[in-house]
Amino acid sequence: MKRIGLFLLPLGLFLLITLFLLQGLFSNPRDIESSLLDKPVPSFSLPDVMDASVQYGPEVFQDQVTLLNVWGTWCVTCAVELPFLTQLREQGVRIVGLYYEQELDPDFGGKTIQQIRADINKTVSQLGNPYVFNIFDHSRDTSMDFGVTGAPETFLIDQQGRVRLHHVGDLNERVWQNKFLPLYQELSQ
Amino acid sequence: MLAELGHFSLVLALLMAILLAIYPMWGAQRGQQVLMQTAKPLTVGLFLFTLFAYVCLTQSFIDNDFSIAYVAHNSNTLLPWYYRMTAVWGGHEGSFLLWVLIFALWAVAVAVFSRGIPLDILARVLAILGMVGVGFYLYILLASNPFERLLPFYPVDGRDLNPLLQDFGMIIHPPLLYMGYVGFSVVFAFAIAALVAGKLDATWARWSRPWTLAAWVFLTLGIALGSWWAYKELGWGGWWFWDPVENASFMPWLVGTALLHSLAVTEKRKVFKSWTVLLAIAAFSLSLLGTFLVRSGILVSVHSFASDPTRGLFILGLLVLVIGGSLLLYALRAPQLRSAGRYELLSRETMLIGNNILLCSATLVVLMGTLLPLVHKELGLGSISIGAPFFDQMFVYLIVPFVLLLVMGPLSRWKNQSLAALRNQLLAGLGLSLLAVLLLNLGRDGLSYMAVLGMALSVWIAIATVQEVRQRLSAVNHGLAGLKALTPSHWGMVLGHLGFAATIMGIAMVTSYSVERDVRMSPGEQIELQGYEFRFLGVEALTGPNYTGHVAKLDVFVEGKKISHLQAQKRFYTVQRNVMTEAAVDPGFTRDLYVALGEQLSNGDWALRVYVKPYIRWIWGGAAIMALGGLLSMSDKRYRMARLVKASEPVSKLAGESV
Repeated sequence: MKRIGLFLLPLGLFLLITLFLLQGLFSNPRDIESSLLDKPVPSFSLPDVMDASVQYGPEVFQDQVTLLNVWGTWCVTCAVELPFLTQLREQGVRIVGLYYEQELDPDFGGKTIQQIRADINKTVSQLGNPYVFNIFDHSRDTSMDFGVTGAPETFLIDQQGRVRLHHVGDLNERVWQNKFLPLYQELSQ
Repeated sequence: MLAELGHFSLVLALLMAILLAIYPMWGAQRGQQVLMQTAKPLTVGLFLFTLFAYVCLTQSFIDNDFSIAYVAHNSNTLLPWYYRMTAVWGGHEGSFLLWVLIFALWAVAVAVFSRGIPLDILARVLAILGMVGVGFYLYILLASNPFERLLPFYPVDGRDLNPLLQDFGMIIHPPLLYMGYVGFSVVFAFAIAALVAGKLDATWARWSRPWTLAAWVFLTLGIALGSWWAYKELGWGGWWFWDPVENASFMPWLVGTALLHSLAVTEKRKVFKSWTVLLAIAAFSLSLLGTFLVRSGILVSVHSFASDPTRGLFILGLLVLVIGGSLLLYALRAPQLRSAGRYELLSRETMLIGNNILLCSATLVVLMGTLLPLVHKELGLGSISIGAPFFDQMFVYLIVPFVLLLVMGPLSRWKNQSLAALRNQLLAGLGLSLLAVLLLNLGRDGLSYMAVLGMALSVWIAIATVQEVRQRLSAVNHGLAGLKALTPSHWGMVLGHLGFAATIMGIAMVTSYSVERDVRMSPGEQIELQGYEFRFLGVEALTGPNYTGHVAKLDVFVEGKKISHLQAQKRFYTVQRNVMTEAAVDPGFTRDLYVALGEQLSNGDWALRVYVKPYIRWIWGGAAIMALGGLLSMSDKRYRMARLVKASEPVSKLAGESV
């Protein structure tokens, strides 16, 4: 009967897999958890969308709790959340934009930077401007490093520059109250 | 009315399955002939009632009966009649009905074609199938009923069939794949019945082999067809995406391939018994796992039907009962199995077990790659995705030792092979294949190591296969007339291996030497790709029965001579509001020309994707040859049912024959 242990191996393996499948059934596959959680933001060096001579790096997140909002003027849902984000800015929340342009393809080209700036100015003058400044991710590499799957997405970054929360989809009153506010208050103290 | 009849018929089928699960097994354990003899009629009943239910649903589709929820969600009055018939398996509930229909078909095939098998074994096998069936019929009746009505308020027209599925390849892909998946249930039932009876011998292996071959042939064709469909329909020019659901069909295929070879050893040499049984259980378990992965929506994929945790839970419960139960039985019974044969380190047995291990490693790689993102997330480590690069790299590592063993195996003898003789043949084969690759690549610039490796492996397999046939011929000493003396199952092996070689060749060439260009073109413009001139003639409007769209027309020239006219379509399906790409393909033996139409750009130009894909047909051609090999093996006299009456025939008589 000594050999039975060996023959129980497949059963054990199967039961282990079952446990994970069971757990997986009750979580939404589209509900993505960032693998960056509690890790420092990835390093980058990108220009301001309005002024190419200004460069930003990860140090912009030091010493202040920041919301990093990934957006674009082409994105309809982003337009929906702009007024609420602007309210947050008025309450004193620091919001930095990570801007990427859908119609600017690394290979094909597309919109010129002048067009992009004009569109941004038009959008924020109509709907409100929540951003301290906008980082321009022209090649979309940094968005990839952050694990962005689309726009809008919002990251909560603490004073040490670590990602603490990653939200996919629009940020509204309900999401802010339930998901962001408790952690935001804790980090701000 | 039809829906109610169909529903009732399914309930009767469940009843048959319950009786089938109980009485024949009882009879077999008690040795009561009468009870055992109920197995066949009950199986036939199971099949007929399921078939009737299926026909009812199909007729409802043809009649456009939108008071049935499933019909309303998956069909439309504008849908052509042939797609209305195939729309039966276009959604979750109906595809499961097809699943149980095919299940019942396999069961009835076992009942009808197994006249030579002793009654007690047959009763047990059918009873096991009945037990598995009870679970599936319960599932379809309780959690996924295709006959649910939308009364009293039903829609005037249906929501149409998913446009991805409105394609000829898609008409036959799911049934073939299901034939393969569900076919392993028969092998599984044979294995469990043998474990229950405690009689795992060479005859068990011989009975299982034709069924394994049949399931494997269907699975091979189903996977190849799915790959061809994705190539044509998804418009990215890819043929395999390592999508979770593709993986789910690939895993049973890998294990099934291992099982085919392992059964051969068990039949001939009476070794590896417990291993073979485990493979038989694993092949069906992985098929079930594949079903679960598709049905539960647990993984995001192009194949997923809508997520529904109750359905997922039901199937998971079923998995635990069927797979868990059989693995437990295995753990209890397998330690008592003793292998009779002895063999040396250098022998065909070793090569075959080596290949088995590699095939199982490949399965584990695919299983891990598919489930790791899930496990990673559930452990709270965050979401990750495992893409094609991981699988590609792992398979490159696995294929080299795999091919080495594949080359050595057929050239080696059972029990003990002399090293010197084998070494000479291997060196000759290797030398020839390197020479062939050198010749094939003469004059090609931009040589890729991967392509050279793949080609060398492919040619080596082909050469070794020829060497093996020659060796066999010189053994019978009839010259070429001896070719006739080789058994069909031997030819099956030869074709199987040659088909595999063709597939490797195709994969190596396509992955390394494909060229693609994303271009923007205005009418009259032309671009050149690998000596082919693509001239863009323009885009015209297109109207189909249930879609509108655009069609781009291109002429292809080689050195000023027109060789092909391509029409790439982009369709907009009006009911489902979906855009679909229909790529234009000019197929060829050594290359495919492939054009997909993109968006119209702001200045009136069109975005087009143009590909030249060398040897891509070889991938599917190879699969077809492998399947043909499987069919040939099945036709071997040895498995013919008349012969099986003499089931007690000594196995030693067969020992001289091929695998």
